[in-house]
Amino acid sequence: MAPEEMGKVTYRMRLIFAASSLLFVAVLAVSPVKDLLREWKHYKRGYLQFARTRPDTKRLTADYRPDLDQIWIPEMNVVDRCASCHQGITQATLADGSVPQPYRAHPPIPHRVREWGCTPCHRGQGVATEVAEAHETTLAWEQPILPGRYVQGACGSCHHDARPELPKLNRGRQLLADHNCAGCHRLQDIERSVMQGPDLTSVGTKVSREWIYKWLKEPRTVVDDSGNVKVNGYETQESPRMPQFRLSEQELHDLSAYLSAQRSHPVAPYKFSGAVVAKWGKRPDVTDQGELRFRQMFCSTCHSLAVTRAGETKLIGGEIGPELTKVGSKVNPDWLAAWLLNPQGYLAHSKMPRYEWSEEDLFTVTRYIETKLTDSDLLSNVPQLGAATKEEIAHGKKTFSEKGCASCHAVGSSGTQKDFGPDLSALGSKNVSQLEFGKSTIPRNLSSYIQAKITDPSSVNSAARMPQYNFNAADLEAITTALLSMTGPPATSALQKLTIPRGNPQFQPAGEFARIYERYQCADCHKFNGYGGDLAPDLSYEGSRAQRQWIISFLKNPQTLRPTLTFRMPQFNMSEREAAVLADYLSMVMQSPDVRQEAVNAKELTPAQAALGKQLYEVKYQCQSCHTIGSGGGYVGPNLNNAGNWLKPEWIAAWLSNPQALVPGTIEPHRTMTDGEIKALTAYLMTLRQSGGKAAQKQVAAHGAKAGGNGVAGQ
Amino acid sequence: MATTLQASLDRLRATRVWKSIFRRGPAVTNRSRSQAVFGNLFLHWLPVKVREKALTVRASYYLGSISFLLFIALTVTGILLMFYYHPAVPQAYRDMKDLRFVVSNGVFLRNVHRLAAHLMVLLVFWHMFHVFYRGGYKPPHEFNWVVGVILLLLTLFLSYTGYLLPWDQLAFWAITVGSNIISAMPFVGSKMRFILLGGNVVGENALLRFYVLHVVVLPLAAFFFIGVHFWRVQKDGGLTVRSKNDGKK
Repeated sequence: MAPEEMGKVTYRMRLIFAASSLLFVAVLAVSPVKDLLREWKHYKRGYLQFARTRPDTKRLTADYRPDLDQIWIPEMNVVDRCASCHQGITQATLADGSVPQPYRAHPPIPHRVREWGCTPCHRGQGVATEVAEAHETTLAWEQPILPGRYVQGACGSCHHDARPELPKLNRGRQLLADHNCAGCHRLQDIERSVMQGPDLTSVGTKVSREWIYKWLKEPRTVVDDSGNVKVNGYETQESPRMPQFRLSEQELHDLSAYLSAQRSHPVAPYKFSGAVVAKWGKRPDVTDQGELRFRQMFCSTCHSLAVTRAGETKLIGGEIGPELTKVGSKVNPDWLAAWLLNPQGYLAHSKMPRYEWSEEDLFTVTRYIETKLTDSDLLSNVPQLGAATKEEIAHGKKTFSEKGCASCHAVGSSGTQKDFGPDLSALGSKNVSQLEFGKSTIPRNLSSYIQAKITDPSSVNSAARMPQYNFNAADLEAITTALLSMTGPPATSALQKLTIPRGNPQFQPAGEFARIYERYQCADCHKFNGYGGDLAPDLSYEGSRAQRQWIISFLKNPQTLRPTLTFRMPQFNMSEREAAVLADYLSMVMQSPDVRQEAVNAKELTPAQAALGKQLYEVKYQCQSCHTIGSGGGYVGPNLNNAGNWLKPEWIAAWLSNPQALVPGTIEPHRTMTDGEIKALTAYLMTLRQSGGKAAQKQVAAHGAKAGGNGVAGQ
Repeated sequence: MATTLQASLDRLRATRVWKSIFRRGPAVTNRSRSQAVFGNLFLHWLPVKVREKALTVRASYYLGSISFLLFIALTVTGILLMFYYHPAVPQAYRDMKDLRFVVSNGVFLRNVHRLAAHLMVLLVFWHMFHVFYRGGYKPPHEFNWVVGVILLLLTLFLSYTGYLLPWDQLAFWAITVGSNIISAMPFVGSKMRFILLGGNVVGENALLRFYVLHVVVLPLAAFFFIGVHFWRVQKDGGLTVRSKNDGKK
């Protein structure tokens, strides 16, 4: 370039400069244009158009602003921009299913959306303003939105207590507890129970090696994919306790050998006195008598038996104890009598009450079980196993620990082992990248993983030690929901404050009452201050409800107040003294603060009031549609024939003024009565007394026998 | 039109305000031109006269200038990003999300900052190689070579400290690995690591330290050394330009 051309810009250079400037501006414009076309702005505009098609446009757009909408809750660390697209979320008129998403309103829930945000329950990425980022697992976000069918799992991460609004979650937690998942896994809110599976320290004295083999091979048979459970070939609602392990033939041999060799703490076989054997041993009706006693004692309240009726066989009876149809072919006769006398002597944590047996009853019932509740085909498919060799026992011991059997079953004094399986107490907040999917082709998300792992553990990990469970679709969903609720401790102390702890009901009586309470295992069926089973009435306020004398006579000879119920209180053959101790304790301790003794003075109730009460009972309030007095009335509520001897007047008064306050959830209608009417009805009910004594008891015993006969008819 | 423009410019130059700012008349002679350069803070560290050859693309490929422009771009976008960023756990990552989802052109800002940073590291290396192979380290350029090496290190430190700030998994592990490399130094390694991280783990303290280094200490140092670098280019006689005699005896 010559010096005179210096500083001169050629035409070509200008052109290049102009073109590159234009290009530069165009590139710079990309970002603002993209900003203008953001997804949420599209949905915002869409909402305005949609609102115009609705009759209440004005109301729907009253709060409309063209900006981003967000719910900001600093103390919960929530910034949810979901409402930017989900514009109609709080509009009651948009709740209809025909309203297109994202404009549909949220279904009514106890929490207000504006106060709780969206992601605390639904998860997903609240700060995102793009559809995919907000809902799905993306490169920079691993907690996708919780599918609607598991949303109760989200409730459970704060609500550790059982709430009636969350049936699926409660069911899932119940299943996890029932199946002893806590035996191998650490779980949130579900503690290891004292006894997971039976203690096997002396199992060799109870059952044969062949039976162990059979049980290990098919603890429960599952008939179809929907997971219907069959016990001994009979369909049941009971949840199977022992899962199916994938055991090889060799492992079955070894394990059965090892277990049948466990006889370290045998119970002493019970020897019947010569007189009883002489009296009953040869009588042909010994089993009939045994069956009668079996029914009268209401064993069926806890144990079920297969019953064939009209060509259909099904299990009838309770689920607290095991099904007994073929138990005679299972257990050793020597062991059986010793067990019935003192179940806790063999299995310290057994739920079975210690009945007060007469020797005759024990003999006949044992005979009945041994000879009638049998199945000669039970062990027909089991190969000849012979005596256990030393080598088999050694191998069996190894297999026992490798398969994690010791997580649920104790052998010897060592107790059960903890944490055999992975800790699942924070499973619900696991990221997808932390899960092992193996070669399976299931969708890559947490809920699919949980379901695959439960239905077939080897599908995601061929070396899985976990046994196989067979749940129907609903239960699988419930369990998944419960597992998803276990998100570990809250991330912040602010969230910690929001959690509602699980109620931990405890009832620890002391003294003589405690001994009898433990002996008859009252808490298997009854609740005491929130602790115990729910088969029978809650006894937390029994002292305010029932008169002491009535409790004593009931315990000695339980008569039913509700004839339509299948399950009855067993007859324990309790002594007068035991009954009196229980009645004293219940009357003194189990009192309701809402029932005040001074509220009603029984002596002031006049016959005139009683007459008025009778009229109210029969005409105004029509109580007889549910309750029976004499021979007429309904069967929904308890029989009131003996109300005067049974109930305390102050209880009746408090009950009539507000039944749900005393027993939440009771179906007794809450009527508004005047104090006078309450007094009158109380007076009337207190006049209803059956003459005590033997006649009534006889009638009750006969009734019990009849009812028991109904329960297990066909045997 | 050109004349009216010229006339109005002349009128402007005659005003008192203009004169108070620029202090001299139009640069029409070589002397007044060089005075204009000397008298201007922003120009005075450039040479008054440049050899024509030094301006051609092949002389330098403008590598140093582009690196400087990138540094300016990084400063501008960095300051804008600072308006949206808290060097705190876990707010730092939330700010990344906000930049992506809420801040107008937030993604653009972040991307410009990040890409410019990557490009700057690349160009600074290229610049160094170019200068090296042209023999630019030879006398009288030794001192400026050393300043250049310091600038290279500052660029790398800036890049490294900026890497932690998004507070995502990538950042966390990159800094964990990086700081463990430091601790491999004999004798002082673990102390150095402790000083850098403000503790023994990559946590809130480390984030704060890296932030202060990234937005205050290192940029100021870089500005200072860039100034020295440019100044010395001029004082050392301009760019090293290949002469026709290069490579010949």
